[in-house]
Amino acid sequence: MAGGQERVLRRRIKSVLSTRKITKAMELIAAAQIPRSLARIAANRPYRLGMQRLVLEAALGDPAGAAKLLAMPEHVDTALVLFLTGDRGLSGPYNNSSLRAGERLVAKLKGESTEARLFCVGKKAAAYFRYRGLSVEEHFVGFVDRPTFANAQEIARRLVGPYLEGEAQQILLVSTRYLSAGSQAVHVQQLLPLVVPELPVDDGPKVLKGYTEFEPEVKKLLYFLAPHALESEIFSALLEGAASFHTSQQRAMAAATDNADELSQTLTRVMNRARQDSITTEIMEIVGGAEALRLGK
Amino acid sequence: MATLSVEILSPEAALWSGAATALIARSSEGNFTILPQHTEMVGDLVSSIVRVETVEGEVAFAVHTGYFQVGPGDGEGVTLATVLAGVAERTTEIDVARAQAAKEAAEAQLAAATKGDQSDDTAQLVALAALERAELRLRAATK
Repeated sequence: MAGGQERVLRRRIKSVLSTRKITKAMELIAAAQIPRSLARIAANRPYRLGMQRLVLEAALGDPAGAAKLLAMPEHVDTALVLFLTGDRGLSGPYNNSSLRAGERLVAKLKGESTEARLFCVGKKAAAYFRYRGLSVEEHFVGFVDRPTFANAQEIARRLVGPYLEGEAQQILLVSTRYLSAGSQAVHVQQLLPLVVPELPVDDGPKVLKGYTEFEPEVKKLLYFLAPHALESEIFSALLEGAASFHTSQQRAMAAATDNADELSQTLTRVMNRARQDSITTEIMEIVGGAEALRLGK
Repeated sequence: MATLSVEILSPEAALWSGAATALIARSSEGNFTILPQHTEMVGDLVSSIVRVETVEGEVAFAVHTGYFQVGPGDGEGVTLATVLAGVAERTTEIDVARAQAAKEAAEAQLAAATKGDQSDDTAQLVALAALERAELRLRAATK
């Protein structure tokens, strides 16, 4: 009987619609998180710029010391690489694009005979690298949706230790930068040795001319400043990562919801067709039967 | 006219900004006061109370270490003083009961860390830092 096919279709439509409910809910939740995470980026911006200005100023004040602290060693034997991903999936390309970029980076470092020690933020990164047989030195989970400055400080502390002890000569960060609502890009950034930031042009007049007073003396200041600059950069990367995650998830879930709508519509049409077919067949059978009876009389 | 404009920034938020007559704080080399037309300067801040004097009165913040920068601001004769602190709060917003509880917890931790022959250096330092923060909050709130 054709009624069987109809029942199967009805069941599939129901399942598509209940999946749609979930993706729609996730879309709305992610959408609600976006403005909040953007507000946090905006609140962090003055601090981040202030910190960059401070580093720039200290570097200008002591070019010799800065050269020592900021210069790349001739060969990097060991690099610490910090990956930033989400704790959860279902977020479109957010996790995978940064992991792929990260894997390319690790391969490139290997080509330059640099050993990469991996530090991962978010469940996804740690799981990805472990699965591929790379050892993850340390991983941090549970806060990527709503990072706090204390989280950034904790991460920075773990990274600065090996760096100051000379075990590593470089610290790199792979994260997703929030450029605009429509565009987030994976970005590889060197955290230490410090990169003297280039300030936006409109901040021009605020940049000092390099005859500044320092307290304590600039060498000491620059040395203590480095870990704080690292914290600041990591924190802003965490904030932008969270915003990118929510944006990416919202877009992915909106697409999934649209797909579910389309699928349920197509399935409904097929089902109606099947129902109509079975009714037609039944009528034909009845008519055929009645005709046979009449003829047989 | 020479004026001073002050910004108190933490990573989570810009805490305060506005026109002031003086900024009083403490660096690792001692107390200092920034007045309008102060020379360009960069320095650190130790855990202390940062005071901003304005025409309307004084605004104070408990700052748990940070940095400051003095430079030219926007416009003629404006000196901009920026305070950057990892953790900072306005003294009027400090929860005294919570700070008191934190202080007692830190003291207990410190006692636990120093007890016995095998004193845990890291735990001791963490407890000391927590104690210092709690004491600063109490000092700032009760002044």
